[in-house]
Amino acid sequence: MAAFNPGFAEPQRGGDLVHIYSQFPPHFNSGIKSGATLYAGASNIFVGLVEINENFEAEPYLAKSWEISDDGLSYTFHLEEGTEFHDGTPVTSKDVAFSLFVSKENHPFGPSMFGAVDRIDTPDDHTVVIRLKNPHPALLYSVCIPLLPILPEHVYGPDNGPIRDNPANIQAIGSGPFKMVEYVPGKSYILERNENFMRPGQPYLDRYIGIKNSSASGSVIALSQGQAHGWSFVGDPHTVDRLRKEENLFVTSQGYQGIGETAFIEFNLRKKYTGDPKVRQAIAYAIDDDFITQKMHLGVTSKATGPIHSSSPFYTAEVNQYAVDLEKANQLLDEAGYARQDNGMRFTLNLTYQPGVDWEQKNIAEYMKPQLKKIGIDINLVPPADFQDWYQQVAAWDHDMTANNNFSWSDPVIGVYRMVMSTNIKNRVWTNTSGYINMEVDRLLNAAAVETDMQKRRDLYVEFQKILAQDLPVYFTVQSNFHSAYNKELMNTPTGIYGAIGAMHSVYWKNGKAP
Amino acid sequence: MSNREKTDAAVRPDRPLAELWHMFFANKAAVLGLVLWLLVITTAVFGLTIHPGDPFAMVGAPMTPPGEEFLLGTDYLGRDVLTGIIHGASVTLAIGFSATVCTAIIGVTIGVLAGYYGRWVDNLLMRVTEFFQVLPPMLFVMVLISLFTPSIYLIVLAIAVVSWTGMARLARAEFLKIKEMEYVKAERAMGARNASIMAKVILPNALPPLIVAIALNVGTAILFEAALSFLGLGDPNAFSWGYMIGSSREYIWDSWWTITFPGFAIFLTVLGVSLVGDGLNDALNPKLREL
Repeated sequence: MAAFNPGFAEPQRGGDLVHIYSQFPPHFNSGIKSGATLYAGASNIFVGLVEINENFEAEPYLAKSWEISDDGLSYTFHLEEGTEFHDGTPVTSKDVAFSLFVSKENHPFGPSMFGAVDRIDTPDDHTVVIRLKNPHPALLYSVCIPLLPILPEHVYGPDNGPIRDNPANIQAIGSGPFKMVEYVPGKSYILERNENFMRPGQPYLDRYIGIKNSSASGSVIALSQGQAHGWSFVGDPHTVDRLRKEENLFVTSQGYQGIGETAFIEFNLRKKYTGDPKVRQAIAYAIDDDFITQKMHLGVTSKATGPIHSSSPFYTAEVNQYAVDLEKANQLLDEAGYARQDNGMRFTLNLTYQPGVDWEQKNIAEYMKPQLKKIGIDINLVPPADFQDWYQQVAAWDHDMTANNNFSWSDPVIGVYRMVMSTNIKNRVWTNTSGYINMEVDRLLNAAAVETDMQKRRDLYVEFQKILAQDLPVYFTVQSNFHSAYNKELMNTPTGIYGAIGAMHSVYWKNGKAP
Repeated sequence: MSNREKTDAAVRPDRPLAELWHMFFANKAAVLGLVLWLLVITTAVFGLTIHPGDPFAMVGAPMTPPGEEFLLGTDYLGRDVLTGIIHGASVTLAIGFSATVCTAIIGVTIGVLAGYYGRWVDNLLMRVTEFFQVLPPMLFVMVLISLFTPSIYLIVLAIAVVSWTGMARLARAEFLKIKEMEYVKAERAMGARNASIMAKVILPNALPPLIVAIALNVGTAILFEAALSFLGLGDPNAFSWGYMIGSSREYIWDSWWTITFPGFAIFLTVLGVSLVGDGLNDALNPKLREL
């Protein structure tokens, strides 16, 4: 099966694209909030300085070229000339500088993406010079769309009141391929072709329509009957399997490298049993990853070995992977001094899980109950009543173990550091809630964050992944390998590392209209 | 049973139990219900000795269709559906019965006190009852369970908390009626204490409709638990039929058997409860049947 539908012949103009999402964005300002569906809309309304292709390379977008100084402390971007926002005002370097500071101050990843930015110079309307306090190789990954949307300052600036309350977060004005037309909260939004888009001829579609459909069965039917033409973030292996059987669809896992989702079992290191490394290792040895990925997930997911997604250039598989070995697991628990009692059990652990992503959370937690029974660990499943219930439990560090997941995003600095750095132990989920403290890990990660030599940077991350697999504050289970399904007549669907939430400027219908 | 005996039983009110059984067994539907009941209870009690196994254990490939290897197939984790159904019988029955016992205790106590003492006690207790009656039961249960972590005890308690009102109203109505009877007044005139009158004199005479209500409540409680599990609010540590359906519902396209068989088990059990309840109703309140 083709990884994507490459375009051929001349792109055709016209047609609507109806894209299904299981959640709905509260607005589209990706400079102040994170979220996959929000990013998907933002990518089409706004542009970024660069786009990142499937090989993790930056490609020109609003910035037609750029130079990086030898010391890695200054980045000079040359912008496309003559570009306009949807309201007709020109896009200038001032808007770029403004947008970067909005992200730095308001976005949850702001500090990790732009914390190193010292100041921004705008010598003329089409030149932006970003000056850094220290080298920050993740910068190019941070100025891409959707992470850095270029906002018009005269619409989002301080003159218009606090940015979080700005009505233009919903009635968004950018310079991207599509313009906001209609937004029905919780249901759908309609974007219309921007005829003044900076790339002549693009976009090819008349309209991009995002709709919410939280029912998997309903979405499959809508796609197979042609009422909808795209569906992203399909994770459930059985749904992926059903989509693959539909004649009029093509299904791809391309476009998710930048999101880099991994699922894991998180241990609370403050608790008696899970605080013991031997117990954690025993549990890792007891879990049969092949059974999970091949049998439960029909081969749709793959084994995760660490927090860095296997599609990242910094990934290594050269770590202790804990191939299933029940004998060794039992032996480790015996060594740790937890003998089996009369009922055959050694001790009881509570296990909770994040609701809403059952195949990699609830189902794996359920799998662990009978599996860990074999090594004498009695698992008491603690089902969360809802997301908030789970959040509070984990944020309060009340859990023994929880199934959880993480998005590593395009650079480890953005998505990986938060869950392992000793400086990020917080009462919030998706921080270092296991309470992991290893100064060597902190040192390696801090060094890698400022290392401009790609190979040296990679070496530091490899070392980090090895240590983490040894310490096991979390045990990685699967990489979810999200999938997108598109109508087969839809050409040139986005493939970059953010393809699943990427801009649809190059997409067109084979016959100029939806079938 | 001969015709002569039948007439005998009918004309000999000094043997009420015999008459009860006689009328019950004359009702074919009720007998069918009883057979279903015995089947479920036998499964719950002896099932695991005939077909032993841990319902949580993954014994085969996930989603193996019913066949030679696994009579009723396996679910999405490779757990044997047959083991689940056998094990689930005892869990489901335990939930049904204990929820009903709790319901009866709360409902009958409140109804008895309200009906017997009347006046402000009645007023107060009935206002409380009405408060619980106007809350939509399913929503109320979901709120109760969401407030705490779902466990089998909480589920039993929550079911009781939302279903006792009917029982209370019934008990109150019976007590209001019976407490004015001559024999009760006579008992009181002889100096019997309130507690003794309630427990020894009125309650036995109020029992017939209550027994029917209690029997039917078992079915309601089982359905409640199944509905909760279906919505994902069940206790995943208790392998009930509802849990089997709830956890497999996402996979109905891929493995119909993981939902169909436990669903059938619930259907038969609740049908059995209903038929037995109706049979008891007819037997205990023969006058109602003539109406």
